[in-house]
Amino acid sequence: MRYSFLFCQAAVLSASLLLTSTAWAAPAPKYSVSDLSASLRENAHGVVRAYDETLLVKSVSRTVSTVHRAITILDGAGADWAQLMVPYDQLNSINYLRGAVYDADGRLIRSLRASDVKDYGLSDGFSLATDNRGRLATLQQSAYPYTVEFDYEITSDNSLFYSTWEPQDEPQLAVEHATFRVLTPAALPLRYQERHLPQGVQAAHSQQGGQEVYQWEVKALAAMEREPDGPPLRELVPMVVTAPAAFEVQGHAGSAASWQQLGQWSYELNRGRDVLPDDLRARVAALVKDEKDERVRIRKVYEFLQANTRYISVQLGLGGWQTFPASAVSTNGYGDCKALSNYGMALLQAAGITGYCALVRADAPDIHTEFPSSQFNHVILCVPLAQTKTAKADTVWLECTSQTAPFGYMGSFTGNRHALLLTPQGGKLVRTPTYGVRENRRERLADVYLDAQGKATAAVRTAYTGLEQDRLSAMLDGLDPAQQKKYITESLTLNNFSITKFNLTANRQQALPMVTEKLDLMLPTFASVSGKRLFLAPNLLSRLPAVAAPVGGRQSDVWLSHAYTYADTVRIHVPAGLQPENLPASVQLTTVFGTYSAQLHTLPDGTLQYVRQLQMLRTRFAKAEYPAYVEFRRKISAADKAQIVLLKTDA
Amino acid sequence: MRRFILNSSLLLGLLCNYQPAAAQKAAALKPPISFGDVSAADFGPNPTPVAADSAAEAEVLCDYGQSRIVGATEKFQVVFDRTTRIHILRKAGYDWATVRVPLYVDDDQREKLSNLKGFTYNMVGGKVEKTKLDPSSGVFSEKIDKNHVLYSFTLPNVKEGSVVEFTYTITSDFLFNLQDWQFQHRIPTRWSEYRVALPAFFRYKEITHGYLPFAAQDQTWVPYSTGYHQNQQTGYGSVNTGPTQTTSISTQALAQRWVLQNAPAFREEPFMAAAQDYMRSVHFELAGSDFTGHDFRDLSHTWEKIGVALLADERFGAVLNQNSPLTTEAKALRTRLPDARARAEAVLRLVQQHVKYNGQERLYTSQPTRKTYEQHQGNSADVNLLLLQTLRAADLTANPVLLSTRSHGRIVTDMPLLSQFNYTIAHVVLPDGELLLDATEPLLPMEMLPERCLNEQGRLLTTTGAWVPLTSKRNYLEYTKADFKLDDTGTLRGTMRQGYSGYAGLAARQQVFSQGESSYKTQLGRRWTDWQLTTPPTLLELEDPSKAFAVDVAMTLPGPETPANTLYLPLMQAVGLNNNPFRHADRFFPVDFSTTRELTQVVSLALPARYTVQEKPADLQLALPGNAGKFLYHVAQPTPDRLEITSRLQLTKTSYSPAEYAALREFYSRAIAKHAEMLVLQRQ
Repeated sequence: MRYSFLFCQAAVLSASLLLTSTAWAAPAPKYSVSDLSASLRENAHGVVRAYDETLLVKSVSRTVSTVHRAITILDGAGADWAQLMVPYDQLNSINYLRGAVYDADGRLIRSLRASDVKDYGLSDGFSLATDNRGRLATLQQSAYPYTVEFDYEITSDNSLFYSTWEPQDEPQLAVEHATFRVLTPAALPLRYQERHLPQGVQAAHSQQGGQEVYQWEVKALAAMEREPDGPPLRELVPMVVTAPAAFEVQGHAGSAASWQQLGQWSYELNRGRDVLPDDLRARVAALVKDEKDERVRIRKVYEFLQANTRYISVQLGLGGWQTFPASAVSTNGYGDCKALSNYGMALLQAAGITGYCALVRADAPDIHTEFPSSQFNHVILCVPLAQTKTAKADTVWLECTSQTAPFGYMGSFTGNRHALLLTPQGGKLVRTPTYGVRENRRERLADVYLDAQGKATAAVRTAYTGLEQDRLSAMLDGLDPAQQKKYITESLTLNNFSITKFNLTANRQQALPMVTEKLDLMLPTFASVSGKRLFLAPNLLSRLPAVAAPVGGRQSDVWLSHAYTYADTVRIHVPAGLQPENLPASVQLTTVFGTYSAQLHTLPDGTLQYVRQLQMLRTRFAKAEYPAYVEFRRKISAADKAQIVLLKTDA
Repeated sequence: MRRFILNSSLLLGLLCNYQPAAAQKAAALKPPISFGDVSAADFGPNPTPVAADSAAEAEVLCDYGQSRIVGATEKFQVVFDRTTRIHILRKAGYDWATVRVPLYVDDDQREKLSNLKGFTYNMVGGKVEKTKLDPSSGVFSEKIDKNHVLYSFTLPNVKEGSVVEFTYTITSDFLFNLQDWQFQHRIPTRWSEYRVALPAFFRYKEITHGYLPFAAQDQTWVPYSTGYHQNQQTGYGSVNTGPTQTTSISTQALAQRWVLQNAPAFREEPFMAAAQDYMRSVHFELAGSDFTGHDFRDLSHTWEKIGVALLADERFGAVLNQNSPLTTEAKALRTRLPDARARAEAVLRLVQQHVKYNGQERLYTSQPTRKTYEQHQGNSADVNLLLLQTLRAADLTANPVLLSTRSHGRIVTDMPLLSQFNYTIAHVVLPDGELLLDATEPLLPMEMLPERCLNEQGRLLTTTGAWVPLTSKRNYLEYTKADFKLDDTGTLRGTMRQGYSGYAGLAARQQVFSQGESSYKTQLGRRWTDWQLTTPPTLLELEDPSKAFAVDVAMTLPGPETPANTLYLPLMQAVGLNNNPFRHADRFFPVDFSTTRELTQVVSLALPARYTVQEKPADLQLALPGNAGKFLYHVAQPTPDRLEITSRLQLTKTSYSPAEYAALREFYSRAIAKHAEMLVLQRQ
């Protein structure tokens, strides 16, 4: 994957084929739907009849992958699988793309013609320029079921990436039969990792004409469904991930056998591109001249970078991995994640501070650390701080593509994961900052003024910190106040309300960023009136919905990835003439998943004070415990909806 | 969009002496902006700001475009110049320093970008500093597909407070449409001006959209001259590629100008069919040519003429004269189904079964209908022209209806412009009436059109032509019936049938088919968190669009964990309205629905002997002014152990003006409050 901020190279690249020309000449029916076993059709929108991929390592710098893929589309929800987009770019070319479609009986409807294949520039929507293009073949039919068959071959001059064989790459897709073959010269040994392969399936290794041959085969994989709070599909389905040891891209040779070596390659590729013009070096030196505190010096340099650059993505050829020189950023005032991090590193140098660029997989699950290979899509800057008399050793992490990101804060985009530090001694795997229950907080205080008709006004003040503030912080930076109000109006979990006043403020000076939100609300139906009674739920804005009990048993383990602490106080100011008839009982829940409490007190002046605390942990647990989790969430949901009943005393 | 070029070289000789009668002299108007002339004033605040825009991320200071027609070699071209100056106010506005210019290419005709220049101006220590856009490193072009090339560039050294300015020229072979001009943007615009100068031998029709008044809109005749180059003929028609002969043409041109001043940021709102209907813009279409002053060649002057031209077009009318690839099947229907209506329906189903709509709304076919048939897919015109061919093959009187889909904007009927249309459906004459058919949606009953087509009126193309209404006879209808029974412990049990007909049926069926039946059911199971489903949901009449689609569920609501003497029952909670669709308090544009709506709930509750009703919600009737909506809520207790609640909400109009919005929102708010009311029961 290129290091281009959010940019991800399409997954189809890992694809391949075993095509024989007889496949096209033979008129005999194939892929008849009646041949499919019922167990494969269950809960499936499509069945992969065949997925045969071959990776041929031609040399240290060239690979050829061929894919033969046939999928029976069972219904409209699987129609997307009748389309194939094969991406290519300056380093990857498509040798051929063929296709055919068969009816339910397996009779050929038609073959794909060259004129049916459309060629597109794959503008990612945020890059100024990329060389990504794709060929799109569409074989969609109006009558189900039918079977599509594709064959294609890609020659790659980018041997940094080998294939990932993942025949079951979508939910509700079953697999009848799939194979994977890798042929590589003995001098270029294959590195591979098998994940979630069915019992008994493993690599068959042989030699064939001076080549090492590896082979895998899976059969009859039933369709999987994504479950709420479950692991991503990629952590469940069978796959074989391959990677080179030695590789070479555009004359730049390296090895991915260890993180150290992979990091070394990336370091060397970008070395010497951090030279700044003299006047800029002098400017930076002057900027930090009188500042003794290392952290403050770094902050000043970072603020200079944020004020003078912006993110512009240009991804062409090797430019996906190699930065523009720092001097280009200083001339243009823009760059992508590589260029801006490299520029930041150069600015720090000018201030006498050593920083390192670090590769990271942003906005996606963390990398597999046990299998060194190119798994990154982004670059950030890391500045180690040595121990001093007054402070212990620490690390400052900097996001250089954002003009507004708080100093030293990684957030949900790059926090809580691994990064590969690029040092002169090679790559070094380290952890980015962790944000957990103590950091991710939401504290809310609401005063609700009720009238006897059930209408209310409310003044709500909420402080968000850590990952809890990410969304609001992005909104504060990206939208003007009118748009912010619109967004908040659409996201509040209230049925009937108007926002009469609103204000957002950010505090980014402290170690953990915070956003404070102030809302004045009008709630025409806060309490529901039935005759002489008023019904109202004191939990105004913080209801946590229950999770659905699994239909037919939980299939996958439970992964709760977000840890947080929520504290709510709601003071309901009750007008004269209303008395509580029924107040919800206190609730206290303590589980391995988290804790919850809710209490309601009547204050001396008759005000009803509701206090709620919820703490959820980042945790993973076995599917057997899912019912206990469902019960925990059901109890929270019930308690969050508990109602106060007020009686009109003068009626 | 359709574009073509007029081959007019033969008429050239006649041009030189042609002067339109209305010719008059007009003083040249100074351009509102001069490239490079950035001053300190451009960095200052807007002298007449719009309050809501005080915190805008950026502001268009001036956006100036002009189109003129010039002679070229064996053709005329449209030359479009644009100069734009933008003040970047906040970091969120940095994106406005990146510009994307899409160009159109079609065989040997093309749009070409030239003269691209740009500068960024920064105020540094009270002085304006400028940085030049480097065309060698900062400008990129990408071939998007065979018809589109995208030029992208970004200005250097952009900071908060920068003023960026760029200018470019597009030279186009496509005379049919001049470049459109959009006066408003998502950021405020201080000044936006478009000028066109059109020589008298070309006549264009223009159409403007939008709400805000123009600050200036004028036209005048000005002198015009251009050179037209002809390849020299070397005898017997062969063309010499060497020197060309240049003819100078002098005549008058119609100079038109539109100015929009101080336009606030344009913001879309929910329930808005087509934003472009509300945003100020101007569009053009070639109406005809006249190279002599008395030889007007009318291209699209009237709807009738547009119809005639379209019926002769090879990607439209000519297609209708070809045989349907489904002719054999259609002929078989002639004998099998003598009834015309039944036969029309059979043809509709036949086409639906054979072809899948690819989601592209188009007026013209993209390929021969034979290929559409073979590939089993096509755009809306591919599908519906195949439908028309096949209807005719089945011996039915069928003609095309042109329309503009809801997202494409409303038709302005007094502006006969072909580009107003983007979609075609079929009109069928029956002995007992007429039918409008669209084969793109297999889930639709025959008497309904897809929601995208419900856009006021369409143009029927017969020899005479006529407007036909595109309002639906069917509405959006949800009908929910629930039967609950309370037991002694306070637990509610019962069944519920949710029925969806008309456009509600279409929406529900589309949801089922797009996500698959099992996922739909799973999702249904998650809809009620307090209630528990006791059996999996059953879907009824999913396959037959002529019937109402329904979902049956059996559900229970557990009673209190400790027995209570007073029981509060949220009876309408699972059944009724609980969300106001009109979340925002303000409204600037009309609320636009495709159909009228009706939501009905009927709930019956059987009580055990030991509970009596202590408090029940009062009846309520609400009406919107002008009978634009009605809400009725009624509770009956025919016997002491039985309660019947009936609720019906109707919206009887499809469009509500901003002035009606507050009442509409309040109407929903009150209906929701009524549905939230509890039933209070006392245990004996």
